[in-house]
Amino acid sequence: MSHLASLRLAFRRHGRRCRGSRAGAVVLAGGLSLALAACGGVGAKGGTPAGGSAGLTTMGFGLPDEIATTRVAAFQKAHPDVKLTINQGQFDEQAFLSSVASGNPPDVVYLSREMLGTYAARGAIQPLDDCVAKQGIATGDFYPAAQQQVRLAGKWYGMPEFYNSIVLLVNDKAAKEAGADPAKIDASDWDGLSALAKKMNKVSGGKIERFGFYPKLPEFLPLWAKANGADLMTADGRTSQLTDPKVIEALTYANGLLKEQGGWTRLKAFTDTFDYFGEKNPVTQDQIGMMLTEQFLITSMANTSPDARITVLPFEDRQGHPISNVGGNAWAIPKGARNPDAACQWIKTMTSADTWIAAAKARAAKRAQEGKVYTGTYTGNAKADKVIFSQIVRPSGHEPYDNAIKTILAAQAEGLVVPPSPAAAEFRTAWLDAATRVMQGRAEPQAALLQAHGEAQRALRGAG
Amino acid sequence: MRTRPRLRTETRWAYVFLLPWLLGLVIFQVGPMVASFVLSLTDYDLISSPRFAGLGNYAEMLKDPKVAAAIGNTAFYTVLHVPLAIAIALLLALMLNRITGRAAGFFRTVFYLPSMTPYVAVGVLFLFLLNGQAGLVNQFLGLFGIDGPQWTTDPAWVKPGIVLMSLWNLGTTTIILFAALRNVPRELYEAAMIDGAGPWQRFRSVTVPMISSALFFVVIVNTITSLQMFDQVYTMYFGSQSAQQSSGDAALFYVVYLFQQGFQFLHMGYASALAWLLFAIIAVITVIQVKAGNRFVYYESEPPGAAERGTR
Amino acid sequence: MTSAPETRRAFFLVMLAAASAVFLYPFVWLVVASLKPRSRTFADPFVPWPHPFSPQNYAAVWDAAPMLAWLVNTLIVGFMAALTVTVSSAFVAFGFAYFRFPGRGVLFGSVLGTMMLPSAVTLVPTYLIWNSVGLTGTQVPLWAGNLFGSAFYIFLLRQFFLSIPRYVFEAARVDGASYLDLFWRIALPLARPALIIAFVFELKASWFDLMKPLIYLQDPRLFTLPRGLKAIVDQFYQGGDPKWEIVLAAGVITTLPLIVIFFIGQRYFVEGIATTGQRG
Repeated sequence: MSHLASLRLAFRRHGRRCRGSRAGAVVLAGGLSLALAACGGVGAKGGTPAGGSAGLTTMGFGLPDEIATTRVAAFQKAHPDVKLTINQGQFDEQAFLSSVASGNPPDVVYLSREMLGTYAARGAIQPLDDCVAKQGIATGDFYPAAQQQVRLAGKWYGMPEFYNSIVLLVNDKAAKEAGADPAKIDASDWDGLSALAKKMNKVSGGKIERFGFYPKLPEFLPLWAKANGADLMTADGRTSQLTDPKVIEALTYANGLLKEQGGWTRLKAFTDTFDYFGEKNPVTQDQIGMMLTEQFLITSMANTSPDARITVLPFEDRQGHPISNVGGNAWAIPKGARNPDAACQWIKTMTSADTWIAAAKARAAKRAQEGKVYTGTYTGNAKADKVIFSQIVRPSGHEPYDNAIKTILAAQAEGLVVPPSPAAAEFRTAWLDAATRVMQGRAEPQAALLQAHGEAQRALRGAG
Repeated sequence: MRTRPRLRTETRWAYVFLLPWLLGLVIFQVGPMVASFVLSLTDYDLISSPRFAGLGNYAEMLKDPKVAAAIGNTAFYTVLHVPLAIAIALLLALMLNRITGRAAGFFRTVFYLPSMTPYVAVGVLFLFLLNGQAGLVNQFLGLFGIDGPQWTTDPAWVKPGIVLMSLWNLGTTTIILFAALRNVPRELYEAAMIDGAGPWQRFRSVTVPMISSALFFVVIVNTITSLQMFDQVYTMYFGSQSAQQSSGDAALFYVVYLFQQGFQFLHMGYASALAWLLFAIIAVITVIQVKAGNRFVYYESEPPGAAERGTR
Repeated sequence: MTSAPETRRAFFLVMLAAASAVFLYPFVWLVVASLKPRSRTFADPFVPWPHPFSPQNYAAVWDAAPMLAWLVNTLIVGFMAALTVTVSSAFVAFGFAYFRFPGRGVLFGSVLGTMMLPSAVTLVPTYLIWNSVGLTGTQVPLWAGNLFGSAFYIFLLRQFFLSIPRYVFEAARVDGASYLDLFWRIALPLARPALIIAFVFELKASWFDLMKPLIYLQDPRLFTLPRGLKAIVDQFYQGGDPKWEIVLAAGVITTLPLIVIFFIGQRYFVEGIATTGQRG
């Protein structure tokens, strides 16, 4: 991927400038002069941030709830002069890169921490070290694992938002019907898990009625590999280990779970009809026996289905040690952002302990008012979490959820990080595609992972 | 007739009227075609200078399994969509032609309505309708005891599902064929009946030849649009990472891949090479179709205005 | 004789009615599902009315996305695209229809030739042109290319102008009308039906377009409806936060105005398409 290297160099060499000149030269070779002639005007337009009136545009962030709105309100109160534009909607790689390439990037972008490495290497986002120093961002407040995810080559490229962990969510009804005590399910026993999955699974006439055990492939392949004692990548983020026999074994096993339960193509179509965050979520609808999930499904269920009969267990490796993967988004500043100072202030506000605590209080108050359960807000800020879980979160009397909080906090402590890498996005795409091919029955695990390994290594070498 | 000076003024004015077209031709057609070719010989990512890569992009295309997959998918779709769409549209048009009157106008409107649905909305709608576990299509098949396939998640069935979706959009083809059928002179049928021709023979020897130029037209247009399929497929299976996982490469159509290379990965040189290959493929197919068409298409009565073509 | 033709006609009517049901029902399903609560989206697909009735979905989609802005954008872009292409194509078509000049055959051949040129082929250079003049990230590239006319409409309108008897123009010339007068005062008014055909076709094409908004627009406030709908699908269907009622309601909002436009201009759509097929 020599493209990436050249991209990065180019971004280092040039700031905002007349982006048309090279394109113009090429088009000129095609017999056109319009492009080149008009270019001067563009160069003049770029360069300086919009003078006095400070604006701030965000990308990839939405305002779904009080956790978001409280913090946004805090920012607006602290910086009333900044004209804030929140372009709601999911992060879209194509739109983001196009906006950076054409010189109209947002000021601040909200995206998965896993993607930072690639964009940092491409030069699409800028280091935040100056921002951290100038605004005095308390980076030490963040969980070490989250810090690790947003640093590349010794520099900050993002500030962490939420801190997601993975737990095993069990539908008590399904477990009991399968003759198992939900609290005593042994996640380290792969044969036992597979037998239980089959018992919980319900299929009639080609229609899946209950997905016994959803192993959350392909997304959770790193967790399955870890459960089998392997990492997908070396700790330095430079070498793929996708062909490690333990990784192959893990994929073979987890894919076997799917095969035994009706096959991925059916199961996927079935999960596409799951209303995860609604009142009729798949657990209360008895559409799921058990599943690996990020904790936010459980915090959402606490709101929609406070009386659900569920058990939340830590996931374990085959030796019986609890394991989890750390996930979550980060805030980053694109190269060419017009108002990096306001962006930095924004990032500071959104990720600081005080703001998180205020947001958590707002949510706790709202849930209390509605008579619902508050199971905590799991932030990337350890200092905030300490306050949230010692002072704001109170026992609710809904035992499953009160227990779930303990499990989630314990899982957090075991969180593992996929090492940040300059080819993180390409690496992720490679193993996701490989797992998908296996699940669709188009490739055997070994062959699929070998191919992914090749793709990953090419990308890693290219990213230098 | 006219004096020379007048002629020259007229010519000058003619070019004044043609100016927008000529400019557009140079700026947005010929220029980009040439530029596209030049770009295809470079590595260009929009930010750093294009670097000359010779035929590197073309060589890479030969090795790229995704190019092969994209060509295969697009060909599969085109080969299924074009004959099916035209056969069904012809059937509908024939039936419309038999009833005529207000009822025909009503049905024609109904058949055209899906063609007024923006492709993104069509893609959205069929994501729901084609869901293998709960979608309308499989529930309908279930009424007949058929366990329908997993249209949106099984790589073997993703493309047939897209073809099924495409067959909902037959309005334009139906209207064209219906209009052609209405122009077939009744006397020809009467003459054929006097000669003792049965319905099938009348269809073969009167209808088909008489509408052959319209048939030929819809074949070419449907083929070209099929080869450039993008909107519906991109809506359903691309754009977000989890969407991509449901179909794998089964829905990777050629223009989708071209778009990804150009505007998601910013590999402008490679995308240009892909564009040229597409151009070559479409040109070859169109030439073959025109050659074949000239043999089969029956031009007896030229359509109105066709006489003017003599000036070309 | 027997009533065989009548029976046959009845048979075809029944067949066509069945086909109509197949073509219409997806619409019915879409509208009905968009009016049901999320938990019922997939339930009872053959019941053609929403139960329970949940019109608040449309309020929810209004909150979730700037639908009104997208609608206005779509109308603006569509209007600009349709207007520019109609006027410029008519201008060029008049040049081809009225004048006799050297090179006419070759040039008109080039018009027909570009009709076959797939737009995907020029995608990248066209983007580079708009980028070099600093117009990426704006709505201008979505319609401004139409200032130069479009082959299909030039062809269509030329055919129409050719059907205007030449003596009409010659008489005006004798009265001292300039060529621009001929175009503006005589050709355009007489060609009204054809102009409307061109206008509604381009309006539809612009309303359908996903590729150009994907490439040129990154700011959601500038999105057109199809681009916005794509963003909604990405977030609320594929993005791990399923809210189908929002997706479906947005789908209806994207489609409905166009259906209304179709019913208003139906004659022109049908006529336009029928003409298309006759160019053989």
